[in-house]
Amino acid sequence: MAELTPEKTTITDFAVREHRSLWTDAWQRLISSNTARMGMFIVALFVFSAVFAHYFWEYEPKKDLDYSLKLKAPTLVVNEEVPSVHIFGTDKLGRDIFRRVVHGGWNSLRVGIVAVSIALFFGGLIGLVAGFYENIHMTSSEKLTLFGFTGLVMGVMPAWIANQPFQALLFAGLGIVAAYFVDFYKGKIQRLLIFGVAGALIGGLPALLVSGATALVCTIWGLITGILLSRPLEGKFFSNVMMRLMDIILSFPGYLLAIAIVAFLGPGLEKGMIAIGVVSIPVYARLTRSAVLSVIKKEYILAAQSVGEGHGRIIFRHLTPNILSPIIVQTTMGLANAILSAAALGFLGLGAIPPEPEWGSMLGDSYRYLTSGAWWAVLFPGLAIMFSVLGFNLLGDGLRDALDPKLRT
Amino acid sequence: MTRYIIRRIFSVIPTLIGVTFVIFMFQRLIPGDPAVAMLGEHATDESVERLREQFGLNRPLFLDRDALADGDINKFFDSQYVRYMKRLAVLDMGESIHRRIPVRETLALRFPATMELAFLAMFIAILVGIPVGIISASKRNSAIDGITMIGSLIGVSMPIFWLGLMEIMLFAVILQWLPAGGRLSTGIDVKSITNIYIIDSLLTGNIAGLRDALEHIALPAIALATIPMSIIARMTRSSMLDVLQEDYVRTAKAKGLSKGLVLFRHALKNAALPVVTIIGLQMGTLLAGAVLTETIFSWPGIGRWVYDGILGRDYPIVQGGTLVIAVVFVAVNFFVDIMYALLDPRIRYD
Repeated sequence: MAELTPEKTTITDFAVREHRSLWTDAWQRLISSNTARMGMFIVALFVFSAVFAHYFWEYEPKKDLDYSLKLKAPTLVVNEEVPSVHIFGTDKLGRDIFRRVVHGGWNSLRVGIVAVSIALFFGGLIGLVAGFYENIHMTSSEKLTLFGFTGLVMGVMPAWIANQPFQALLFAGLGIVAAYFVDFYKGKIQRLLIFGVAGALIGGLPALLVSGATALVCTIWGLITGILLSRPLEGKFFSNVMMRLMDIILSFPGYLLAIAIVAFLGPGLEKGMIAIGVVSIPVYARLTRSAVLSVIKKEYILAAQSVGEGHGRIIFRHLTPNILSPIIVQTTMGLANAILSAAALGFLGLGAIPPEPEWGSMLGDSYRYLTSGAWWAVLFPGLAIMFSVLGFNLLGDGLRDALDPKLRT
Repeated sequence: MTRYIIRRIFSVIPTLIGVTFVIFMFQRLIPGDPAVAMLGEHATDESVERLREQFGLNRPLFLDRDALADGDINKFFDSQYVRYMKRLAVLDMGESIHRRIPVRETLALRFPATMELAFLAMFIAILVGIPVGIISASKRNSAIDGITMIGSLIGVSMPIFWLGLMEIMLFAVILQWLPAGGRLSTGIDVKSITNIYIIDSLLTGNIAGLRDALEHIALPAIALATIPMSIIARMTRSSMLDVLQEDYVRTAKAKGLSKGLVLFRHALKNAALPVVTIIGLQMGTLLAGAVLTETIFSWPGIGRWVYDGILGRDYPIVQGGTLVIAVVFVAVNFFVDIMYALLDPRIRYD
């Protein structure tokens, strides 16, 4: 830290200081940081070159083929052997690697953006709702929805077994009744008995039309559903169910689940995007939930509640803007991870379908030629992956420092 | 403590069931008829039918409501999923489509190879990552700090398979110091006891074997270690920086303790908790990374095998390999949670 000398200090008159919003402040901090500037520069370079190449530099992968130029080392000037300039060399089909690296950027960035959008949308929504209702009591109409929906989901089972769809609606109805009961009828044992019996009857009676065995199974299931609905379900219940689901997805390490899913679906860039997006939903759900939990007890939420604002309004007007910082940082880093995962998929032959250029699959195509000395076919696509990922990571780091100076280390 | 462990075990069970469920559902993702996909398009109707019978593909997925309507409760539960779980209970994961070898046998053979690689990589990552993190934190904002932080950022930005390829290029092709792949050179034999060659060669006193095994494992282990190493270094640094601002550290400094003593006795102990967590989580990165690293280095572990399974559309292999890796990951996380509770008595299951 620089020494403070009397000449250097200036006195700020806070009454006349120009007003700066949180975001302007963060922007100032962002552009004054070297790492963030570096990150922004790299990201801008890749985005610009990919977009420019896609729209203005024509490339037809299906026609790009010239065996006479197979695996030529990088050249900067034209010679007899290689009649054209290839600054990154050529690959096993004689294709210019520089051209394919630039065009491959379009695919990699697309995968990143689509995958992160999917993960952010679903994960963010789950995290917001789970974190919010874990701490805020539900209004009666929200309880109605929760109970009705729980009844409906549970009711699908007997409805399917007995092949009578209306049973699911009966259970949804039972849920709605239960939601009313929970609020004004406090007798726990009585509620348990009433809804247990009602559930068993709704499950068992219609199933009797099919067979005795079906009725037995449906009665047991109805009983369980009834007992569940007799309990005072709250947001905590929804949150637990959702977070358990997220835990299951998270118990597959890294991008292994995405690899396995695409291995079964068959290769394709679109399938890869969706797979990477879906398996990263839990990351965003957990992050959003914990961010919500960290601000939900703050006074401004209480104030918004006490002036009678609706829950939807509180979530989107007061909660969301205040938890944006960690989510913006994670989104930037998530783009980096998605590009890495997409490269891994491509390398395993599960990404873009050849001859479409994509960094990972370019590496997968040519790594076998490494031992025979064709280093350029492996070096440059890999450098492209590394620098684009590094760019997003640097930017993410800078954003974290800029948006949350307290976390700065 | 016992109570905590028991509750934690019970919370692992639904996760494991969920994992088997997801892996079971993979089969449904195969476009078209799985039986045809397994046998190839030129299979006769007869053999397809036989395979469907053999794998129970003609049974319903989860529950048989028609059997229930006929009053047959046993048949009601006799579904593909229940059969799959029954087979899993006796560790039967089917057999490879192409080679007709039971998945379990190959797994038993290849599992030690992956574990050897993963644990050595983790060992390297911890051995380098933690000291680097401590040095960075103690010399905050110095040149060393800047270099290690940028270095660790580059470390997490590299695709590990590319790093592995660059290693091969440098050390195996150009310098020719180390072999480019495999577990042992031809002609060198290590008597197999645990199937972890480093341990086996130590047990049998086979120095040539040990040397050869270490030479082969060096490159893949370093490639695999890079990401966890970078993340551990960053985590150690930021956790140490947090702790170094605490009052008790200032007190320790004020009463004249040496810098090293403050750093290791007072700070490191208290900074260890987040580092332990991150080490546990990185085990996942290692296991997923094994698929890529083993592919590059022809390492005969589960990862390479899964890759071959993907290429050959050998679905039981992909299922079996994924299952084992996921189960190991769940187990590691379980132990990390227990460790966490042991290290910090305040942490208890709510």
